[in-house]
Amino acid sequence: METLHDLAPVLFAFLACGGFAVIYNIHGPGILICAFGGALGWLSYLLSAPILQSDISQTLVAAIVISAYSECMARVRKCPVTGYLLVAIFPLVPGGGIYYTMEHAINGENALFLSSFLHTMGVAGALAVGVLLVSSAVRMWGIFRHRTLLQRR
Amino acid sequence: MDYDLLLNLATDLGYGLLESGAEIYRVEESIQRLLHAYGVKQADPFVIPNCIIVSFATPEGKAMTQVRRMPSHGTDVDLLERYNDLCRRLCREPLPLEEARAQLHAIGETRRLYPLPVTLCAYTGASAAFALFFSGSLRDALCAGVCGLAIGLAVTGMTRLHTSLFFKSMLGAALSAFIALVLTYLGIGQHSERIIIGALMALVPGIMFTNAIRDVMAGDMVAGISKVADALLTGVAVALGTAMALGITRLLWGV
Repeated sequence: METLHDLAPVLFAFLACGGFAVIYNIHGPGILICAFGGALGWLSYLLSAPILQSDISQTLVAAIVISAYSECMARVRKCPVTGYLLVAIFPLVPGGGIYYTMEHAINGENALFLSSFLHTMGVAGALAVGVLLVSSAVRMWGIFRHRTLLQRR
Repeated sequence: MDYDLLLNLATDLGYGLLESGAEIYRVEESIQRLLHAYGVKQADPFVIPNCIIVSFATPEGKAMTQVRRMPSHGTDVDLLERYNDLCRRLCREPLPLEEARAQLHAIGETRRLYPLPVTLCAYTGASAAFALFFSGSLRDALCAGVCGLAIGLAVTGMTRLHTSLFFKSMLGAALSAFIALVLTYLGIGQHSERIIIGALMALVPGIMFTNAIRDVMAGDMVAGISKVADALLTGVAVALGTAMALGITRLLWGV
C-alpha cells in the first residue's frame, strides 16, 4: 500500500500530460505517447531519488529519460520530436518553485527568496541540459552515420 | 524553373513551420533542404522567432531574397507534424512547384483543431491532475479544475483578441489564483498553494525556457537569447499575476 501511495503521482502525471497533449493540439496516438512520456519521466525521477537525493540531479535524469523516449517515438512515427518532448516534460517544470519564489518576494523574505529563486533556476537549467545532452548526442550520431554511409559508397 | 515561385514556396513552408511552433534550426534546415531538393546550390535561410529571411542565388547568378515578418504565435503540434511531413516528401521527390504550393496551402486551410469544449475539458483535467500531483487532496483537485477552466477560457478569449503573451499570462495567473483563494476561503479547497500551483502549470514558461536554451546551445544566439528573455518575462508575469491576487485577497479579508 505504501508503494502504491508513492506511485500515485505517476498516474497523475499521466493524466495531466494527456490533458496538455490536447491543449497543444496533438491528435490520435500522440496523446497516449505524451502521457506515457510524462509518467515515465516522473517514474524515473522517483526511482532515482534514493541514489541521487537531490531534486536537481533527479530532474536531470528524468529529462534525459524523457528526451531519449521522445527521440525514439519521433523516429518510430517519423514526426518532429518537439511535440512529444514539449508535453512529456511538463511534470518536471518547477511550477512550485516559481510560486514559492514569488511568495517569498511579496512577503519580503529576501534570503528565502534568493535561495528558492536560485533553486528554481537550477531545476530549469537541469531540465534544459538533460534535453540538450540527448538531442546533441542524437544529432552527432546522425551525422556520424551519414558520413560512414557516404564512405561506403 | 520559376525561381520566384520556388522562393515563395520555401518561405511559405518556413512560415508555416515557425508559426506552428517548430524550433529555429528545424525551420532553417527545412528551407535549406527544400531549396537543395529543387536544385539550388547555395541557400541561406536566417530565422529568428519573429522574422524569416530566405536568400539564394539562381544558377544564372541572380540573387533572390524574401523577408517575412512573423506575428506572435502559439504551438500547434498537429500542424507542425503535417508541414514537416510535406517537407520530407518534397525533399525526397520534388513535385512540380504549382502542385507543391497547392498542397502547402491545403495544409493551412484544413487545420484540425479540437472544439472549444474539448480544449476546456483538457485545461480542467490537466489542472486537477497537477493539483493531485503536487499532493493536493481531492477537494483541492476540484478547485484546481475550476481554476484551470478559468485559465482556459481567459487564454482562448485573449488569444482571439491578440493580447500579448505577457498580459495574457499575468491576467490568467491573477484570475486563477484569485478563484483558488476565494474557494479556499469558502472552505471548499484545503491548500490554496497546491491549487494555485496545479492550475498555474498551464501558464508557467518551463517549455519556453527549455526550447530557448536549446536554441542558444545550437548556436542560434539571436533567436535563443530573445526566447530566453521572453520566457523569463512570462515567468515574471505569472508571478506578478499571482502576487496581485494574493495582495487583493489579503486586503479584502486580511489572511
